[in-house]
Amino acid sequence: MSIMSYNGGAIVAMKGKNCVAIASDRRFGVQALTLTHDFQKVFEINDKIYIGLGGLATDVQTLSETFRYRVNMYNLKEEREIQPKTFAHLVSSTLYEKRFGPYYCEPVIAGLEKDGSPFICSTDLIGCTTFPNDFVVTGTAEQQLYGMCESLWEPNLEPEDLFEIISQALLNAVDRDAVSGWGAIVHVITEDKVITRTLRGRMD
Amino acid sequence: MADGRYSFSLTTFSPSGKLVQIEHALTAVNQGITSIGIKAANGIVIATEKKSSSPLVDDKTLEKVTMICKNIGLVYSGMGPDARVLVDKARKAAQEYKKIYMEEPPTLILVTEIATVMQEFTQSGGVRPFGVSVLVAGFDEKGPSLYQIDPSGSYFAWKATAIGKNMINAKTFLEKRYNEQMEIDDAIHTAIITLKEGFEGAMTDNSLEIGICYCEDEEFSLPGEAGFVEGGKKIRKVGKFRKLVNEEVKDYLANIA
Amino acid sequence: MALVNLNDVLSFTGNEEDSAFDDAKSSCMNFETSLNFKLPTFSIQNLSDVSDIATAPVDFLKQQMSNENNSRIAIKKGTTTLAFVFQGGVIIAVDSRATGGAYIADGGVKKVIEINPYLLGTMAGGAADCMYWERELGRRCRLYEFREKERITVSAASKLLCNIVYGYKGMGLSMGTMVTGWDKTGPGLYYVDSDGQRLKSDLFSVGSGSTYAYGVLDSLYDYNMSVEDAIELGTRAIYHAGHRDAYSGNTVNVYHMKKTGWEFIYNKDINELHYKYAAEAKPSTLS
Repeated sequence: MSIMSYNGGAIVAMKGKNCVAIASDRRFGVQALTLTHDFQKVFEINDKIYIGLGGLATDVQTLSETFRYRVNMYNLKEEREIQPKTFAHLVSSTLYEKRFGPYYCEPVIAGLEKDGSPFICSTDLIGCTTFPNDFVVTGTAEQQLYGMCESLWEPNLEPEDLFEIISQALLNAVDRDAVSGWGAIVHVITEDKVITRTLRGRMD
Repeated sequence: MADGRYSFSLTTFSPSGKLVQIEHALTAVNQGITSIGIKAANGIVIATEKKSSSPLVDDKTLEKVTMICKNIGLVYSGMGPDARVLVDKARKAAQEYKKIYMEEPPTLILVTEIATVMQEFTQSGGVRPFGVSVLVAGFDEKGPSLYQIDPSGSYFAWKATAIGKNMINAKTFLEKRYNEQMEIDDAIHTAIITLKEGFEGAMTDNSLEIGICYCEDEEFSLPGEAGFVEGGKKIRKVGKFRKLVNEEVKDYLANIA
Repeated sequence: MALVNLNDVLSFTGNEEDSAFDDAKSSCMNFETSLNFKLPTFSIQNLSDVSDIATAPVDFLKQQMSNENNSRIAIKKGTTTLAFVFQGGVIIAVDSRATGGAYIADGGVKKVIEINPYLLGTMAGGAADCMYWERELGRRCRLYEFREKERITVSAASKLLCNIVYGYKGMGLSMGTMVTGWDKTGPGLYYVDSDGQRLKSDLFSVGSGSTYAYGVLDSLYDYNMSVEDAIELGTRAIYHAGHRDAYSGNTVNVYHMKKTGWEFIYNKDINELHYKYAAEAKPSTLS
């Protein structure tokens, strides 16, 4: 039993046209036992950047606090908002700090850059980054999510269409994973606002 | 001297509320060779006189204007060896920043980093303050900026300033000459004639060091990078620092009547 | 074993130095293609596995069925099944999820095996083991009927199954089953597992979600409850197991064992039950 699937969970982020979306399931469980279905796995960094942390729940919370601390320090020190690409590298170096005793977490990052272009990124648990042009996934339903995203995603989706696509991709993926699901939450980041919606999912 | 009993302990305040060693360090700076910094509309110019103690010294190896990272450079007045240590620390700080964020540090971040080091050397045991003041020139996303850092660790932003031996005269001169519209070319010109005021002997391209900060277009086409367009290259603006080579300095000198 | 002795032939992949190859070649003249017809070259993957089956079947099965190497045989380790006796007969309720690791292989599995019109078996553990041996049990029960001119009792039927699996003890069978029925003594309910254990009781639940089902059953069960309430209780217990246990879920199947034999009651989506129950008041244990 891998420690990465001890708690279960699924997160996906997608690029759209001048927008990005990030979505996660809401289950918190210990192996087969489902404990809560309001667990937070996606965190706001600022109104243009969100990070989803998939993997061991304790590390999800520790890392989210670490990133909050580091981004707050960045904001104070530099008197400016951190940019998605810079934040991705901050995440990467934070994870690599623990190269030989890693956090069991694989983050995905979604954000809008200064010029409004969509940005997505995922890293492995020791900070190797990838910057695909379509979507990134992480968690125990990773394979199912890849299948859904490969078939549903298309370029230049408008915010509402992107919301529909990412929701369907996530909900149908977690229905094939025993340790993910129990509801979902979706954030669509656009230039002027972030649309956040919780989804009803299968509760078994 | 009333402060005599306190003048040897770095970390003991004198009854008049001064840390005398720091003031002594500033005195050392004020005996150093004059350096000039000017903020132009499109960049920064820093310049200094390069003076060797003997005509036998190979002055090609002397360097007082140094690059810290791609977009930041500095010049110092005061004790050369102290400056070298400081430059080492500044370069390390810049690379530490780049290691974390994969981008060059903003000017102010590096300035506070250097200033923090200098402050620590006024409060730690077994050390003495740096006998230098530095002018830091940088170009970041907020544009060009020029800072001065003193041995105490305090720092200030300037439109134009001077440090070292001839600082008072140079500043008075700059106050008259400075205007915010001047571009890098004008600023280099102004820097040279400001230095010329207190110059002993003939000014040559070998006796002058000039560094400039400016903005440049850079091509990039990494997938996933900001502004990536499939099949096409994108341009982004980046801050740069470079030293003028002798030929350039010679050209500027030739233009001075 | 025969397979082991076949190794020489099975491992033949057209090695030039092999004498068998030379013999074949000489009988094929000089045509390489016709040689291929005569002795088509092939390789068998993991030949050691083949001999493993023959020499150490238990280890072989453990390897094939372990969750570590992404189990090649989908085992219904995660399951919730329950059955209980009450005044109206026996209620049998099960979920319908089949998992291989965390992957949900099927959400519509029938975990109640209809052995004959008066006997039902439930499925937990190895799907193939349960299916095969409960069908075999059905065959033996039919033979019993021919021989004895009367229906077999649930007690006897469950003991048949128990004796069969006991004969294979330690060889990797994996079953946790409840055998229920109605015979001349009335309703019957037995638990039989692949360890060879056989128990009789009024209430059982088996599988990874059984603890959750027991929680509901123990707090709401009453022998004198109506058929309608009993069906609802079975459904609710499976729902709670499906909700809490990651490896149980999808749908619930309910059967009712009566004097006239079993009746299939319904199949319901556990997710729809969740939102139905969420909107309702919780059942009181004090009523």
